[in-house]
Amino acid sequence: MIDLMEAVLGIAAESPLAALRARRAPARAHAEGAWRELVLPPTPGGLSLPERAALALRVALLEGAAPLAAHYRGLLAEWPAVQAAAECFPAVDDDDRLSLLLRFADLVARAPGRCDQAAIDALTAAGLSTQDIVAATQLIAFVPYQTRLLAGLRALQAAA
Amino acid sequence: MSGFTLGPVGWRPRVPPVRAEQASPAQLAALEACPPAQRRSTYFLTLANDPGSLGERGALFTEVMYAEGGLDRADRELATAVVSMVNGCVYCTSVHAQRFVELTGETALMQRLLAEGLDIPLAPRWRAIVDAAIRLTAAPEAFGPAEIAALRGVGLDDLEILDLIHAIAMFANANRLMQALGQSILPGGARAG
Repeated sequence: MIDLMEAVLGIAAESPLAALRARRAPARAHAEGAWRELVLPPTPGGLSLPERAALALRVALLEGAAPLAAHYRGLLAEWPAVQAAAECFPAVDDDDRLSLLLRFADLVARAPGRCDQAAIDALTAAGLSTQDIVAATQLIAFVPYQTRLLAGLRALQAAA
Repeated sequence: MSGFTLGPVGWRPRVPPVRAEQASPAQLAALEACPPAQRRSTYFLTLANDPGSLGERGALFTEVMYAEGGLDRADRELATAVVSMVNGCVYCTSVHAQRFVELTGETALMQRLLAEGLDIPLAPRWRAIVDAAIRLTAAPEAFGPAEIAALRGVGLDDLEILDLIHAIAMFANANRLMQALGQSILPGGARAG
């Protein structure tokens, strides 16, 4: 079965690049697994599915990964207001959960060195548990992995 | 001041880590997928707060850094140290710079890289790896066939190049986790990026 990277890049199952990736089958499978655990978990816990999709969309946009952003936008079809918030630049300067999460995504994705205790405490004050904060951070930090894997695979595809 | 050093650098979490003796079965299972030497570290115990996102991601990290064959482990450590420098993660830089030194014995070279930056003279193979790490980290949209050709030009085969891409991408992730969820602590206790 093709994975998200192959779907986004149009990598054919019988191509040399697919064969190369098969030599690192665990990396391919665990990246797909991590994406599902973060964005489409069977039990989303304190971080809802639309919040997760909004964070993923936001970071894909910040990273300039348009095909990946299109994928995440598709997950928000039933939540147009959430999608609009995720695509609003700069993020809305309110203290509701979604605005805070989106501003946290901006910080972690674009300027991780400027993260501080106040950024974490603002999420706690908005009612996020420690588990929710770790889940949100994992998700925000995973899209930059996907972005660079896509860029690297696309370069290999073009250099074949 | 860059603050990059071979260490030792500490890391202080901004959320409470799971206490190993009180971890749930799901948390313990997720920790089992992480590299054996580090699964009781403060960092992994912090990530264990959300076991659902630790298991697959931990397994991915282990595969990317330690999979048999392909790119030399020292080259993976060099690339991840360089990515960590570009992203300003003092803790990750020190860990992977130390591993590079352990594997190669190139203490002076690494100290110079940390102190003077990524433009110092390097052997062609390492230069190509460092350049790929900088480019794919800072401008992924500009990483293309020319970068692949440069890597092939110094003798990397396609499995080695795939391993390099995985390692560079992994630290776009790892640096952000480290920097968001905690604070690097320099020798002597000073805070660093």
